[in-house]
Formats: sequence, structure tokens, C-alpha cells
Amino acid sequence: MKRLVQGNEAIFLGAIKAGANFFAGYPISPSSEILVLAAEYAARDPGFKFIQSEDELAAANAIIGASLAGAKSFTATSGPGFTLMQEAIGYGHQVEIPTVIVDVQRVGPATGMPTMPAQQDIVQTNYGSSGDYYPLVFYPNSVEECYRYAAAAFSAAEESLSPVIVLSDAFVGHLNEVVDIDAIEVEVVPRSRPPLGTGRRFFTGLAHDEEGKPRTADAMVYREWLSKVKARHKKVAARYSDLEFKENTSTDTLLISYGIVSRVIAPLASEFALFRPIRIFPMMGVELRECAQGYEKIVVIEANDGQYACLVERELKREVIQIPLLGGRINLDLARKGLSEKLERGLP
Amino acid sequence: MFKDLLKLERFPTTWCPGCGIGQIMIQLAMVMDELGLNYTNCTIISGVGCTGRLAGYMNVDGVYTLHGRTLPVAEAVKLVTPSLKVIVVSGDGDLASIGGNHLFHAARRNPDLTVLCNNNQVYGLTGGQAGPTTPRDTPTVSSPAGAHYDPVDLQNLIKAGAKYFYAKTTVYHQLHLRNCVREAVAWPGFAFVDIISQCIENNGRRLGFNSAYEMLLHFRKTYKRAPEGAETLEPYEIGIVRQG
Repeated sequence: MKRLVQGNEAIFLGAIKAGANFFAGYPISPSSEILVLAAEYAARDPGFKFIQSEDELAAANAIIGASLAGAKSFTATSGPGFTLMQEAIGYGHQVEIPTVIVDVQRVGPATGMPTMPAQQDIVQTNYGSSGDYYPLVFYPNSVEECYRYAAAAFSAAEESLSPVIVLSDAFVGHLNEVVDIDAIEVEVVPRSRPPLGTGRRFFTGLAHDEEGKPRTADAMVYREWLSKVKARHKKVAARYSDLEFKENTSTDTLLISYGIVSRVIAPLASEFALFRPIRIFPMMGVELRECAQGYEKIVVIEANDGQYACLVERELKREVIQIPLLGGRINLDLARKGLSEKLERGLP
Repeated sequence: MFKDLLKLERFPTTWCPGCGIGQIMIQLAMVMDELGLNYTNCTIISGVGCTGRLAGYMNVDGVYTLHGRTLPVAEAVKLVTPSLKVIVVSGDGDLASIGGNHLFHAARRNPDLTVLCNNNQVYGLTGGQAGPTTPRDTPTVSSPAGAHYDPVDLQNLIKAGAKYFYAKTTVYHQLHLRNCVREAVAWPGFAFVDIISQCIENNGRRLGFNSAYEMLLHFRKTYKRAPEGAETLEPYEIGIVRQG
């Protein structure tokens, strides 16, 4: 049945569709609707477990414990809370724990501008914890996609055995659109690892060998482990190489944007070519290079000060023009103003 | 046999000779053996620090969490699998300092968890810095002129809720320790066992002890059993206070 659904609600429903049965969270705008929906769901369905944690550290670690115990678990937060969750995200990668973290972005750093929309956690998403790791990250731009990619995140988490991030922003999270949720088909991957209480395993945040035995001074064991994980993540990422590319032969300029900004600049399709990564990390190298071929100018429009633009520049090994939409004001006029300044007047 | 609950193939352990953690592990294994706890019905969640390594030496599924995060992990495991006996083993620094917020809130929520706290009053693994349980004026590498503050009052922190279980014991008083662990495992709620133990290498020697044995004798001399029915344990009393 078609009805009005909010972005945050769609994320929650996508999680349920994927079989999620555990949520832990700490209230923070603009993500709190997800926590409230989880609390309501747990009150109706005793098979769904809910904890309102004392802080985001606890929430991120609770979903790890729940996952080890056999649940499909998730949490939702925003910038400052996402920062607190970084240590658990690194742990999840070291211990190889499938779980899902939703980050509905707002303007930062710190408390910033609650709760104006932003896309300022892009770099944090990819590099926020210590060590090397290869997170899978989805960034939907519509209510339907919120549902679709929330569900996909759970499958990707099971396949990659890692914490998968769903990025959103205050606009996408609070966007209301008419969709028929039941008509959206998603693939559901079952739980992969036997739960606690079935073996004699040791799950440790220390570097370890295949048996879980700590190996804290063996470079070979570490390198083998990291390359194995890297290969697995690359393989899973390839399964979800979702992107949107609108070719335009009448222009020499490709505009790259994602999330809410890609919705806002959609009317520019007649004047420019458009590229939008949906599985935003790992970076889409091959796809990005292919789409960028033939365009003299590459422009990244985003609601941060060039976080993704720098990564695109590194990937393409070409100069990229940055148009930052800052301070929570994201609109077509500002994007047009930026384009005219940078492309026509050549301002830095 | 309690030895079946130990991964003897991973011995020798990482702990220094004379460390108290091995004794806690043996007593825990004995209690688990007595109560029929094994890899099918029990899991051990440990934190970072010397004590955290304990889970890796036990023949059950074990989780060595992030520093300070044992309780959120354990609480979630228990919520998802109520039939599983969930035992948390960690150090005083892990539970009472970096994990202090979780300790206070877990005690308040009163989940059915057993928490064994190896209270050696120092950060041992990192080289002997003052911790949340270091007595005032104790010299450590991070408090050369003596610790500046009174230690955290674990008993009253745990007893702040309407329902609580707090036991204090020492590694010297082995039967008492075993009894406290057994009662804690059987307690239907949040049960905290505060186990005074010795870190000879990174604390004891600086305090003038020549061996772990001397530290154990010091525990024997210093700690006395609380009178039957005591509602509060005095600073050098061992015993159990509880309210269901």
C-alpha cells in the first residue's frame, strides 16, 4: 500500500525487513525517530530486543555483544555520537563482527548546529577509527532508498563480517515521500556465525590468528589477516557497486554529489553530467574513472568543505573543483552560485 | 574436572609469576565445574588489561572487549540469550575507571550478570600507574608523591540501587573467594565480586613487598571476615552484602 513514509522510518523498516532483532541507541537528533520506532517495536514484539544505552559507547558495544550472541543488531546516531562509536567500529573490524550503524548527519564539529543537515562525517566514516580497515558504506538519497539500503547494509554486514554504515542526513532522514514499502524487493542474507554458547572460541580485539589466539608481535600473521579481510571487503563491495550516472554529451563538466545534495541539484541534469555514488565506500575507483572519462571539468558539490572531493581527486589523479554547501543551507541557488563562481568566473 | 574448563594448551599464561589473576581463574573454573557450567551454557566477557586475557584461557566462548566496555557487551548478550550464564571478568581500572559510566548504569538496570573484579589497585599492564582503586597517598609511577585522591567506593556505588549484590574477598582467602563467586553466579541479578589481589611486579615491589607471598600474607593479616548479617562491609572486611 502506498503511504507517506519518513526517511528515518524507512531505515527502521528496512532493518526489520532484513531480520534485525536488536537495537541499542542513545537519543540524538536528527536520528532519534529510529530509536523511538525501535522502542515501540520492542514493546509489541518480544522477539525484538531494545536497550536505551547510557551513551553511544555503550550502544555501539551493545550491538557488538548482541551480534556475537546471534542477533542482527543495529544502532542509529548523528555526528557527535558517531564519533564516540568509532572505537567500537574499529573493534568490529578487528574482531569481524557484522552489525549496522546509521549516521544521520548534522552540522559539526562537536555539537555544531543541531540539527541542520550536513555531510561532514564522510571522512570520519572511512577513517574514523584507529588502524587500517575497509568499511562498506551506503548513502541513500530518497525514502525508498533508505529502506532498500538499510536492508542491504545488513546483508553486506553478514557477507563482509564487519560493521556497515548507512549514511543519511537531517534532510534525507526527515524527508517524507509516498512509497509502497511492501512492493520494494530486497535480498536478505541470513546470520553467518554461530552464536555465543556454542563453542570454545575467543573473540578478541588483539591481533590474532585463525584460532583466535592473540598474536601481538607477529607481522606475518597480521599482514595475512589484513589482506584476507581486504580481499573479502573488496569482493562484497563489488556486489553492491550501486551508483547513478546521467551522461550528458552537451557539456564538458561532470558534477559529483551524493545524499541530499544529489536530490537538490537534480534539475541541473539538462546542463551537466551527473554522478552519484550510493555505496559511497570503498571508493568507486573503476566506475568513477569510467564515468569521468571525456569530461574536462570534475566538480564535487557536497555539504562539507571538500571531504569527498579530496578523495575523488586522489582517485582520478586530476584537479577537482569543490563547491561546499556549508552551515546547513543546502539549495539549488547556492549550488548554481558556486558553479557560476568556479566555472565562469574561475574563482578559487 | 575443573581443568577441563581451562585451555591448558595455551599455557603458560601471559601473567607474571605471582600474579593473582590465575588464582581467580582457578576458583572460577572450580565453581563452573561444580555448577555444571560449560561452553554450552556459559560465556565469559572480559575487558582490556591483564585480567582481560582470562577469557582466552577458558574452554568456553569468550569475548575480550574494548577497554571498559565489558558491561554493555555482556548486557546485550544476556538480553539476546537469557538462557546463557554470562560472567564478566575484568580489572578495577577497566570496570571502575574507563568503564565507570557503564558500571553505574548496569548496576542500576540490574541485569542478570556476574562480575568478577580483579582489584589489584593499580594499572598493572601499562606499568604501574595509579588507578581508581589506588588508596590515597600510595606511590605509583603516575603518582610519585602518593595518589592524590581517595579511591572509588565500589561497595556504595553498587549498593546505590534498590537491588544489589556486592561481595568483597581476597585472593588469599581462597575458600571465601570461591564461595563469593558461587553465590554471585547463583544471584538472579547484577552480582559484583570485588576481589583484592596482588600485582607484585608493578605495584607490590614499589610498596616494599619482596614477593607475591608477602602480599598474600598482608591480605591475611589485614582483611577480616565481616560479622554475620552485616549490612555494610567496613574497609578491611570481607563478606557479602545483598538485597533482592
